Amino acid sequence: MASTSQCIASLARLSLSTSIRPTNATIPRFLAPSIVQTRWKSAGTMAMRAREREKEKMKRAKKQSRFKEYKYATPSQEERHSLCDAMRYLRAAEVGRPPSSVTYELALKIRTPKSSPVLRNRIRLPYPVKNDTQIAVICKEGSGAMHDARAGGAVAFGEDSLFEIIRANPNKLPFNRLICHVDSEPALKKANLGRILGPKGLMPSIKTNTITRSVKTLMHEMVGAENYRERVGAIRMPIGNIQFTPNQLAANVKALVTMVKENIANMEDRVKKDLVEVVLTSTNGPGFSLNGFFNSTDEKVQPAHLSTAM
Amino acid sequence: MVNPGKRMHKLQALLAIRHGPGSAILPPEITRIHMDFAMKWNDGHLGARKFWKNCLRNLKYWNPAIPMIVNRTTDQSSPAKMSIYFRQAALDSNTPSALATKLSQLPLAQQPHSSTSNEHPAPEPEEGERVVTIDMKNVHSDDILNEFMSKTGATLVEPTPDEKVEMRQLEELNEKAAVDRAIMKKYIDDKKREERMLALARQEADAIKMAND
Repeated sequence: MASTSQCIASLARLSLSTSIRPTNATIPRFLAPSIVQTRWKSAGTMAMRAREREKEKMKRAKKQSRFKEYKYATPSQEERHSLCDAMRYLRAAEVGRPPSSVTYELALKIRTPKSSPVLRNRIRLPYPVKNDTQIAVICKEGSGAMHDARAGGAVAFGEDSLFEIIRANPNKLPFNRLICHVDSEPALKKANLGRILGPKGLMPSIKTNTITRSVKTLMHEMVGAENYRERVGAIRMPIGNIQFTPNQLAANVKALVTMVKENIANMEDRVKKDLVEVVLTSTNGPGFSLNGFFNSTDEKVQPAHLSTAM
Repeated sequence: MVNPGKRMHKLQALLAIRHGPGSAILPPEITRIHMDFAMKWNDGHLGARKFWKNCLRNLKYWNPAIPMIVNRTTDQSSPAKMSIYFRQAALDSNTPSALATKLSQLPLAQQPHSSTSNEHPAPEPEEGERVVTIDMKNVHSDDILNEFMSKTGATLVEPTPDEKVEMRQLEELNEKAAVDRAIMKKYIDDKKREERMLALARQEADAIKMAND
């Protein structure tokens, strides 16, 4: 509601400024006081404000909950391929490339909350992709474990001597796997090597299954074994040489998928994860979502056709 | 890739592996194909390289059982040659040749394979095999393909009507993408130009301020 003083003020301004800025309005301003009136949104009652706040909160919660999981998509049945079909395409895509630079790779897409423990384990594939594992063993000098390490073909073993090697040349270690006997764990802790080994992922720990009672069995398990780990809702891993036959590749894929499923089942009481999709790809090829079947849809193409030298 | 729409478009690109130059079914007499050329494209190796990149994968898709080995060297002056191995008696086309089966029985490291360091030069023909060679040096890849087709007597594979429709759709999509890209480029360029102008003006203002101080 405009007061009389405002009306007079506007009138005064009008008389002062007509020469400079003529108004378009045909009605004098003092006759239409609603023009000067400004409106304010009322703050509302307490209940109204509370309701407003509640709404705002809901909105924020909705926004956050949308991204609690990594994105995933389930492909339709037409988008999935049998193993032999996928191999046929991939072998065509990789023709003429040296096999040393090309591998089949598998990506297991997992539906998982972002804030959950990741899947990680070690797998020994039926047909190893490459074999350049060199193991070093931390064990008491002259113990039975040391004997086992020597017999198992470890490249380095011992306690203080091994720590010395690691400290002396941290950027060029002669091994790419490091395991530790339970008895030597205190010595390892004392040696304070976490700063060197940690970033390389070599630090033995119970979590990564690299501290053991039996060096012998662990070494046997590790030779030709590959570590895998879930990253951003997917496990990616080389699964085969490009020269593998369909049967060899199928065995490897099956081994990995069953292992991961087992891992997920073991975690079930703590966190819920699902294996959404299995994608086969190669170094330079496209990715194929697998449907779990083996034979090609084109009955002219037998597994024998895909077993020949590239 | 998570986005289902994007994924569909990618999968449609599999058409490029199925159909294109070199999508042909070879007669059953052919046991293996061998290509020898240099790593880089200069000195007349471009045609051979393009043939490998554009035609050989279509050929491999339609003839998965035939070993096709690409042996490259770092020596640019080496000849560029394709050898096609024929067996004398034609056998059933539905089984891979005895030779190919024999080769695949070898341990992986001993199998003949493609190489970038001249590890597997064209082998001598086995008993009952004859070799036809194509000289690829200083020849365009299309001409190589023509010669290859005439010397092998391969039958071309025509895309089915469904695939033709899909191809057309893909083409339309590409055209649309080009238009969209142009629009986007204009927008980005405009934005960048504005930013540049602003930065320039700010610089000048700073300079004036510095001069006044």
